[in-house]
Amino acid sequence: MSATLLLARRNLARNRVRLLASVGGVALALSLTLALDAIYAGVANQLTTYIDRAGADVWVAQGGVRNLHMVASTLPESVVDQVKAVDGVATVTPILEATDTVAAGDERAVAYVIGLPADASMGGPWEVVEGRGQVGPGEIVVDLAFARKAGVRIGDSVGVLGGEARIVGLSRGTASLVNSVAFVSIDDFRAMRGGAPVVSFVLVRVAPGASPEAVAADIERLVAGVTAQSRSTFVAQERRIVTDMSADVISIMSVIGFVVALAVVALTVHVATLARRREFGVLKALGARNRVLYRIVLVQAVLSVAVGYAIGLAFTGLLGFAVGRTDLNLELAVTADSLAKVGLFAAAIAGFAAILPIRQVAGVDPAVVFRRGAPA
Amino acid sequence: MTALTLDVRDVTKRFGDGETAVLAVRGVSLAVQPGEIVLIMGPSGSGKTTLLSMMGALLKPTGGSIRLDGTAISELSESRLPDIRLRQFGFIFQDFNLLSALSVLENVAIVAELAGLRGRAARDKATTLLTELGLAARLDFLPEKLSGGEKQRVAIARALINDPTLILADEPTANLDSKIGHEIMRLLRSIAKEQGRSVVIVSHDQRIRDIADRVLWLEDGAFKDIVTMATDPVCGMAVERERAVSAEKDGDTFFCCSRGCREEFLGGLREDGRADGRQPHGWSRLAGALRSRRRRASTTQSDAS
Ligand SMILES: Nc1ncnc2c1ncn2[C@@H]1O[C@H](COP(=O)(O)OP(=O)(O)O)[C@@H](O)[C@H]1O
Ligand SMILES: [Mg+2]
Repeated sequence: MSATLLLARRNLARNRVRLLASVGGVALALSLTLALDAIYAGVANQLTTYIDRAGADVWVAQGGVRNLHMVASTLPESVVDQVKAVDGVATVTPILEATDTVAAGDERAVAYVIGLPADASMGGPWEVVEGRGQVGPGEIVVDLAFARKAGVRIGDSVGVLGGEARIVGLSRGTASLVNSVAFVSIDDFRAMRGGAPVVSFVLVRVAPGASPEAVAADIERLVAGVTAQSRSTFVAQERRIVTDMSADVISIMSVIGFVVALAVVALTVHVATLARRREFGVLKALGARNRVLYRIVLVQAVLSVAVGYAIGLAFTGLLGFAVGRTDLNLELAVTADSLAKVGLFAAAIAGFAAILPIRQVAGVDPAVVFRRGAPA
Repeated sequence: MTALTLDVRDVTKRFGDGETAVLAVRGVSLAVQPGEIVLIMGPSGSGKTTLLSMMGALLKPTGGSIRLDGTAISELSESRLPDIRLRQFGFIFQDFNLLSALSVLENVAIVAELAGLRGRAARDKATTLLTELGLAARLDFLPEKLSGGEKQRVAIARALINDPTLILADEPTANLDSKIGHEIMRLLRSIAKEQGRSVVIVSHDQRIRDIADRVLWLEDGAFKDIVTMATDPVCGMAVERERAVSAEKDGDTFFCCSRGCREEFLGGLREDGRADGRQPHGWSRLAGALRSRRRRASTTQSDAS
């Protein structure tokens, strides 16, 4: 009913302070959750960037190892040929991987160091902005942002894995908030680690038309002591490191935000209803049913929450933009899941806030119209 | 006329219980005919508003029945009442009671929408009605921008929008100056006489007697014989002769509501050269009072039903 909608909107707009309080409260509370979600999603994105961009359809790791980070995978080199022999496997690239630091002068930064074979068809840097992406003995490719910060350029030497390597290429998109990815030759890597004939992962590209999941299952069946996962499974697995870590923090903050927003909206809707008691009485006397009045209250709650949600979203977007302009390697990723979750929160807030004044509205006596009050 | 519009039978209203109970209306009966204008007068607190609220299905009587074209609306469940209020009654209030956030047009259209008209049709109907009431230039105004008379005309348009059988008005002219009040009274009269709607007005305003077909006097919750009433020549209030402060002037007896009015009345006559701005007003009131005194002499209508 358009006129009641209009009335709800006008009533809301008429009291600027109240509107500001409710919309602001909702915006603040919802953007708390949205921004936290976005930060963690951004971190998770960064965490999985290498898996996403390495170019492998299937990742083969030591039996039981399902993550890239926080665990170590060690496979005998002989596994590489066994994997290659599995039906549906087109090409393979073994890599070594370790968390270490890259040091240049006083600058020392945490890096995931990847050891690449000379003929690697996967696993190398995906966007080289200067120099080259292939690494031979004594060479290294480092992240552009790291190089800028450390004040090093192509040809300079950096310390890595207890030795030295000369920069031959600078890559982009290989840095996150806490670390970057550096690429060295697999032979150097192995030598610095004592020379044992091992690899960390075998990256697999499947034959055209083959399903990564099916090939991964075949590899696990045919090659002893390995865990093989398709890229998407591996990424999902990796994201869980972040989500498991952040779940509690986000839950607590979301609950706080929810309660704050609910309290603010419920209070303002309640006060707005109280303030309009007489007008509700007039509407009742004119023949409006209770449900028409409920609708007015509900629309007011929904409108304040919807506007608050939109502002919260805009604020989070703005925050992401601002963070992107700093030299923090932090990315805010607003995901569809997060939008849906916070949207659901918002709907629940509006719903609950509108329940509270129901008794009040139902209790409005239409006979108030004849009692003297503030003239309209 | 055979069809009864509204039939109030032996209606009682008690507020509260036990010691503190107030019997606001005691066994009142009244039948309102189609097209009839009934004026209910009486002192403050006599139960006029309570009676009007019950007649308009806004308040349930404690005893007795109220029938609208044969349907006992006093017996209906709460869920049936909104439709009756919406389609059978039009309310007019002293305070106008317009919705402050809505424009003139919206204030009227919303009531048509409540009755089921779609937005566009409701607005068209409201526009037509408001135009007839001379408010065409005010459609988009907020109530706060209107004069009292305009507000009351908007309220009248709102009361009429769903073609009600009955118009119930509580002190419709109390917040208006006398010229505008007169206009509103004429409007109410034409609504009754040209559109055949019944109009029940509760008022202190003696001038409304001019347009009423019937005047009833409510006191202590019951109708009393109106013949004993007189009009205060200064403030215009209806006063009971036995309780009034009387004033003798030029061989005539006048009845005043208070000593203050009596002194003003006598003083005004004595110092007739004084130009205090209130005098002409007092004089016209006096003229009105004399006129109604004459008419009352021929009125025998004291039976409330
Ligand atoms: N809701 C109520 N609760 C208790 N007493 C009431 C209520 N409404 C009216 N009364 C009492 O009923 C009596 C009649 O009131 P009312 O109908 O407003 O008189 P009037 O309109 O003639 O001035 C008064 O004594 C008033 O105090
Ligand atoms: Mg009253």
